[in-house]
Amino acid sequence: MAATTGSGVKVPGNFRLLEELEGGQKGIGDGTVSWGLEDDEDMTLTKWTGMIIGPPRTIYENRIYSLKIECGPKYPEAPPFVRFVTKINMNGVNSSNGVVDPRAISVLAKWQNSYSIKVVLQELRRLMMSKENMKLPQPPEGQCYSN
Amino acid sequence: MAENGESSGPPRPSRGPAAAQGSAAAPAEPKIIKVTVKTPKEKEEFAVPENSSVQQFKEAISKRFKSQTDQLVLIFAGKILKDQDTLIQHGIHDGLTVHLVIKSQNRPQGQSTQPSNAAGTNATSASTPRSNSTPISTNSNPFGLGSLGGLAGLSSLGLSSTNFSELQSQMQQQLMASPEMMIQIMENPFVQSMLSNPDLMRQLIMANPQMQQLIQRNPEISHLLNNPDIMRQTLEIARNPAMMQEMMRNQDLALSNLESIPGGYNALRRMYTDIQEPMLNAAQEQFGGNPFASVGSSSSSGEGTQPSRTENRDPLPNPWAPPPATQSSATTSTTTSTGSGSGNSSSNATGNTVAAANYVASIFSTPGMQSLLQQITENPQLIQNMLSAPYMRSMMQSLSQNPDLAAQMMLNSPLFTANPQLQEQMRPQLPAFLQQMQNPDTLSAMSNPRAMQALMQIQQGLQTLATEAPGLIPSFTPGVGAPGSTGSGGPTGPTVSSAAPSETTSPTSESGPNQQFIQQMVQALAGANAPQLPNPEVRFQQQLEQLNAMGFLNREANLQALIATGGDINAAIERLLGSQPS
Repeated sequence: MAATTGSGVKVPGNFRLLEELEGGQKGIGDGTVSWGLEDDEDMTLTKWTGMIIGPPRTIYENRIYSLKIECGPKYPEAPPFVRFVTKINMNGVNSSNGVVDPRAISVLAKWQNSYSIKVVLQELRRLMMSKENMKLPQPPEGQCYSN
Repeated sequence: MAENGESSGPPRPSRGPAAAQGSAAAPAEPKIIKVTVKTPKEKEEFAVPENSSVQQFKEAISKRFKSQTDQLVLIFAGKILKDQDTLIQHGIHDGLTVHLVIKSQNRPQGQSTQPSNAAGTNATSASTPRSNSTPISTNSNPFGLGSLGGLAGLSSLGLSSTNFSELQSQMQQQLMASPEMMIQIMENPFVQSMLSNPDLMRQLIMANPQMQQLIQRNPEISHLLNNPDIMRQTLEIARNPAMMQEMMRNQDLALSNLESIPGGYNALRRMYTDIQEPMLNAAQEQFGGNPFASVGSSSSSGEGTQPSRTENRDPLPNPWAPPPATQSSATTSTTTSTGSGSGNSSSNATGNTVAAANYVASIFSTPGMQSLLQQITENPQLIQNMLSAPYMRSMMQSLSQNPDLAAQMMLNSPLFTANPQLQEQMRPQLPAFLQQMQNPDTLSAMSNPRAMQALMQIQQGLQTLATEAPGLIPSFTPGVGAPGSTGSGGPTGPTVSSAAPSETTSPTSESGPNQQFIQQMVQALAGANAPQLPNPEVRFQQQLEQLNAMGFLNREANLQALIATGGDINAAIERLLGSQPS
């Protein structure tokens, strides 16, 4: 779907997403988060999957958390919807369905259009290392939310 | 402009600019693609056929990352790559990066931990351990308990002979295996009286250089040692195996509670690594290594959270189980040596030997100990080594320098309590005894296996005598002189010992102060009394004066405080201040 709108101040959404896709595939960053399209044939570039590797010396250590990220039509002006697939116990994450509360996570609450999926994932990972989260008891590894 | 992404019509992720050339080639041929594998630590490039499966890919990289394929977890674009998938399926093309997580058995090596970070978090919670360790009284005791256990074990460190240490470890293993033996040992009154003397314990502990090092590094330990309440409680607990188990359970509970306090885990770990681990290591050196070595090393590599997640706290090993036995054997050997040493010179000594040997025998009546004794008697070198061990030496030295302490130790045993006159006699002779013990001749006499056997025989004979012919026990005569004669030296030792067996067989032929004294000893065996401490006022004279000078004018209160704290001025002051309002 052609999403070009011409003029250049506002970067079209798809272009941004493409860049992010490329970044995810090339493994930009420190290797502790990963993201990519949920479905490689997805033309809309809306449904993404993300992966966070639990930071060491926390209770999340040694675990890999899978997330679903949805970038709506207003992205990147509007923040994406983020949802954990792997069960997790963490502040700001709904414990029954894994939805990340946008008001609780600072990057989502104060979203800027320069932010990206990578930033969101890295921020969530950083929050895992915070004192309030790093010791919360976690459900057994490998469990996923039902929806 | 958007041309880049638009060049091939609908934007397809796999048609990114970097992959453009790759995808132009015929997809049917297995093309070699270069895939970068990235862990948080490192990055490597791998050339693999395009159509390989994830499993094959893992095999290729497992060699490089030195792991099993099932330890590898590959992630691409936010998805975990399953073994049966292919790289193409996930859209992995030339030049792209795959993330790797290596799961080792316990923890992933891919997530390297920085020990400096651990140190950082420890530093921030450093303030909490101070406040944590004091209010949590249940903790101070268990740790005191644990440390005492470790400390008591340290006392056996001075025995440097490998022979003896093997012996020891055998003995300890036997002990570990049989709690009944432990109980028996604990119930032995001599052991109990020994353990119940906090001063003695403290001296013994302080004499060990490793302890001294530890104390320098951790002044909290010296507080522990100087607080007689804690010591007494600890010793009581050590005596009572049932209580010990209780305490251990409480300790475990308290530990797990501590974990949940923010920063508590770090405090615990710090406490462990700073205090307990060196002690455990030191104490366990002879016991075959620190059972927590692996846990400890994993902590030091920064992976310390592992134990906090899984309740991997097996009840701490019973570090004080063997040590009191070792200690008691060391102690009884001391008394034996004291006895034999004095046997060199005089009757007193022989009697002492008998009495001590009696206790020795009662402890050794258990089969495990029997074998130990056997081994000891068979191997004179052992005894020599044992006696010449630095620990023994230092203990003897401290005993000789502190006649009061030696007096207490000797007199604490129920042996002498029935007869105060005996005590009076013993006291001046003690320095002489101790001198003798250091006499190398004594040592050589001790190493004579026949001597040891003779001592055992004496003891048995006297026991028989006591039961069968109590009438033969003469009254105590103060002329039991000869005790002061230290000039006898070595040659008389074996002579006396060899003469002893003949003595036991013919009790009626005894005459003279020697045998009388022996009888007296036997008589005293029946008695049991509390030891008499020297007058506390006298003991604390100096401290009292200091307290007076500081302005604590209430002499009785000062005295009470000093008694309660065992002479520690600082602690006494705290007590005094605590008892005053506001």
